Amino acid sequence: MNEVNMPAQPSVLDISDLRVAYGARTVVEGVSFQIDRGEIFGLLGPNGAGKTSTLSAIEGLVKPKSGRLLVDGIDVQKEPLDAKARLGVQLQSSSFQAELTIQQIARIYGGLYGVKLSREQIGKSMRAIGLEEELGKRFKQLSGGQQQRLALFIATIHNPLLLLLDEPTAGLDPQSRRGLWRRIEELRGEGNSILLTTHSMEEAQAVCDRVAIIDHGVLLTVGEPSELIDKHREDPRVLSVAHGAPTLEDVFIGLTGSEIRD
Amino acid sequence: MTNAAVDTARPPLGLAMTSLLRADSIVILNSKTSLVLSTLLPIVILVATTFGKAQSRLGGSSLIIGLALTLGLLTSCLLGFTLALAHDRHIGVLQRLRVTPAPNWMIMTSRLIVQVATNLIASVIVVIVGAIVHGLTLNVGQYLLVIAVALLGAAVFLAIGQALVGLIQSTNAISAIGRLLMIVLLLLGIFGGTGILGDTIKAISDWSPVGALMTLFSDVLNQSAWSGQDTGSLLACVAYIVVFAFIGIRWFRWDSR
Repeated sequence: MNEVNMPAQPSVLDISDLRVAYGARTVVEGVSFQIDRGEIFGLLGPNGAGKTSTLSAIEGLVKPKSGRLLVDGIDVQKEPLDAKARLGVQLQSSSFQAELTIQQIARIYGGLYGVKLSREQIGKSMRAIGLEEELGKRFKQLSGGQQQRLALFIATIHNPLLLLLDEPTAGLDPQSRRGLWRRIEELRGEGNSILLTTHSMEEAQAVCDRVAIIDHGVLLTVGEPSELIDKHREDPRVLSVAHGAPTLEDVFIGLTGSEIRD
Repeated sequence: MTNAAVDTARPPLGLAMTSLLRADSIVILNSKTSLVLSTLLPIVILVATTFGKAQSRLGGSSLIIGLALTLGLLTSCLLGFTLALAHDRHIGVLQRLRVTPAPNWMIMTSRLIVQVATNLIASVIVVIVGAIVHGLTLNVGQYLLVIAVALLGAAVFLAIGQALVGLIQSTNAISAIGRLLMIVLLLLGIFGGTGILGDTIKAISDWSPVGALMTLFSDVLNQSAWSGQDTGSLLACVAYIVVFAFIGIRWFRWDSR
C-alpha cells in the first residue's frame, strides 16, 4: 500500500496559556485548548466565568495580556485581519445598523467578507432561513428570533473555517433552538469548526463533540461530555449535587459551585 | 452563504471600504433628523432673518449666512455624528463591524467621509439659499472657499464630538452634554461676538470654535482681505482639530461596557 505523506494541518484554533485582564482584574488565566477541523467545541461556565472574554480575545476585540492565539496557524495578534477572515462571529450582544434592510445587511456584510451576493442569491439564502418575506424589512423591525437567524447567516456568509457563537440560543424558543442546532450540524457537515459558549447542558450534550468547563477564568476540565461525566463520577463535589446517576449538569455544578452568579 | 470550500482568503480592502461607505450613506440618508439639522434649520434661520431688523442686529447678511452654516455644521457634527456613534457603540454595531476583516481605521474613516460629504453638500445648499434670500452675488472662488471653510468647520466639530465619545461611555450622558455644549458654543459664538456681554466674553467668543468659524465664513462671503483675525481663527480651528481629535482617538473605546 502506498502511504501518502500529507502535511499535518494545524488545529483550527490553538490557544495556549491565554491571559486576559481588564485593568487589574484578571478574567482569563492560563487557558489552553485546541479545536480540530470539523469539531464542535462547547465552552461552559457560569456568568462571569471568562467565556465571553476568551471569545473576545479570539475575535480580536480584546488584547490578551499574554498567551498565544492561533487561528488556522495564524497569530491573531500579529495578523488580526487574516485571522478574522477565517472567523465567523455571532456575538452575544451585537446588532446591525437598525436602518438597514435585511437585503442591504446581507450585501454590505457580504462585501466586508469579500462575498458578492446577487439579489437572487440573497433571496435564496433568506428563503432557506425563513426570512424571504422580510427581505425589505429593516433590522429593527425583525423579531428576536429573526434577528438571531439573520445574525447566524451573516456569521456564516463567507463559509468560515471557525464559527464563534456566544450563547447563540439564549432567549430562543424551543423550535428556534432546535433549528439552530440543526444549522450547527449542517455547518459542521460543510467542514466548519464551531466554538460555542452556552449555559445549557442540554445544548452542550446535544451538539458538542467536546466541552470545556471554565470558572473564575481558569479551565477546570476538557473532554467529551460522556468522558467528563465518567471522569468526575466519583468526585465528592459532583456526588453532593447529583440526584441519581451524575449528569453533565451535576459535573458542571459540582466543579463550579452552587452559588448564584450575577 | 456560499457552499464552496471553507473560505480563508482575506477580502480586498476596496470592497470592504465600498461596503462600509454604502452602509454609512444609507444610514445617514435614512436619518431624517440629521438632514433636518444640517440643512433645514440653517435655512429657517436664513429666511427668518430677512424680516425686520434682525439682519443688522446680527452683523449683516454675510455674518448671518456664516452663522447659519456654522449652526448646520455644529448640530449635524456635534449632535448627529456623535450621538449616532455613541448609539452604535451602545447597541453593539461597532463591535459587530470590528469582528469583520475590515480594519478599525476603515470603519471610522468611512463614517467620517460620509459625514463630511453630507456637511459639504448641506453647506453649499445653505449658502446658495442664503445668497438668494439675502441678495448676495457670489463668485465661484467664494463658493470654493465656503466649501474649504465648511470642511474645516466639519473637522472642528467632528473632533469635538469624537472627544466627547472618547471621554464619556454613557450614551445618555453624551446626549445631555452634547446638547449643552452645543447651546453654550452657539450662544457664545452669536452673542459673545456682538460685544454686548463685555470685552472678555467677546475675546473668548472670537476664539471659540463657533466664533472662529463665523469669522472665516463671514470674511469669505464679504470678500474681505485676509486679516490677522483670519489667521488667528484658522490657527484656532486647526488647534481644536488637533487637540480634540487626539483626545477622541486616544481615549476612544469601541464598546460601552
